[in-house]
Amino acid sequence: MNERELQDAVKGLPKSIEPPRDLWPGIQNRIGRQWWRPRWYWVTVPLAAAAALVAVLVGRSGPAAWDVAPLAGRPLLGTKPLVASGRLRVGDWLQTDDSSRALIAVGKIGQVEVRPGTRVQLIAARADDHRLALARGTIDAKVDAIPRLFFVETAAGTAIDLGCAYTLETDSLGNGLLHVTGGEVEFQTAERSSRVPLGAMVQIRPAIGAGIPYVEDAPEPFVHALATFDFKNGGARSTRTVLALARAQDAISLWHLLQRVDPSLRGAVYDRLAALLPPPAGVTRAAALVLDQPALDSYWQKIHRILFRRTVLRGVREIDPKTGTTIH
Amino acid sequence: MTDDLVARAQAGDQTAFRDLYHQHAGRVYALCLRLTGDAYAAEERTQDVFVRLWEKVRLFRGESAFSSWLHRLAVNVVMNEHRTTGRRERRVATAENPESLEPHVGHSTEGLSIDLERAIAELPDGAREVFVLYDVEGYGHGEIASLTGIAEGTSKAQLFRARRLLREKLER
Repeated sequence: MNERELQDAVKGLPKSIEPPRDLWPGIQNRIGRQWWRPRWYWVTVPLAAAAALVAVLVGRSGPAAWDVAPLAGRPLLGTKPLVASGRLRVGDWLQTDDSSRALIAVGKIGQVEVRPGTRVQLIAARADDHRLALARGTIDAKVDAIPRLFFVETAAGTAIDLGCAYTLETDSLGNGLLHVTGGEVEFQTAERSSRVPLGAMVQIRPAIGAGIPYVEDAPEPFVHALATFDFKNGGARSTRTVLALARAQDAISLWHLLQRVDPSLRGAVYDRLAALLPPPAGVTRAAALVLDQPALDSYWQKIHRILFRRTVLRGVREIDPKTGTTIH
Repeated sequence: MTDDLVARAQAGDQTAFRDLYHQHAGRVYALCLRLTGDAYAAEERTQDVFVRLWEKVRLFRGESAFSSWLHRLAVNVVMNEHRTTGRRERRVATAENPESLEPHVGHSTEGLSIDLERAIAELPDGAREVFVLYDVEGYGHGEIASLTGIAEGTSKAQLFRARRLLREKLER
């Protein structure tokens, strides 16, 4: 196509395209709140300025809205029952009661199922920032996108999608559980972050954030010991309990523990981790003890790979938790 | 007819304003759709334009055609939104849903139009905005510079880039 043909094609473009839906109700709703009354003009000027400021602040979060549909019962979108598909706009709340469920389309990158007894708010709906707030309840999220595009804020911290599927539950105070069923999630607070891969879960608490992640089949005494360390200032005593109970399968927990214990205990944690799941080539004890990030990342890759194989091949093949190879 | 509706809307008559909306929604939506390259964003911007129109309609003095005045207002609303938020939405919606671009009026080159619309939607933001404003809407580079906040030379370069990209896309 040459320049002339392109120009001819442009001339053929329609000047008018009807919107796919009637936009008037939304416009009417917005202008209905600001009937023009000249005698009140000087009163409305500062109000309009304030509204403009709010619009700018809201606008920073994006223009948008996500599709939402009921799966069962009648969830509330704002204060109105959601009887058919609707649009969840930035700032809107969606709430389910004991018998209702809903499905939110996360822009074009995924979906969130909102289970009964849940309250969520759309915080941002930009292409680079898809963000919900989970005030309470349980959501199942599935996202197919590059990492760090989808975020769920809770009272305990923020779940950051690294390309994954997960279930996140919390009460209104921020006590809850994150269970990852695909990919990996980072749970972050100002103080710390936890990496939770497929087949693992982590408890969350207000003011603390995420504890140390553990695998789905971790024994209850081990999980209890981790919770004591994380949330009851367990210190050296609970560290020793965790180390004594740890198996090769629990390497992801020891990898996190290494970074959270008092520096005087790092040597003991590293030695136990290395005995259960030897470090990859290039990772030295000295580097690990000073929390050298490349060394920790390298170790993480190995731990993650083995856990991935164990999880996806569960019931199909038996995988050596120390090496990731098939046990014949 | 339009003059009467405008006068009544200026007096605060919402019914007249609704009729103005129905008269001009298609034109405004087409502009918003092409400038944003995103069907959802276009709906939002179209609503923004008419809310802004409701606020500003009293300022219309009849010095130009109402449609031209509204068109300029619409361009300002869309460009201000871009400047304010720095938003750069991906344009997947229109690329994946060309039906949303299909004109509701008869057209002999409909297929080519849809291909071109899709190709425009897939342009990089800056190139798309300049192309739509210059080649589709007939603005000059000076006006585009003041509307978008870029230099005239940048506008020319973006136009050149947009045309080249479009020719390449349409030849595939």
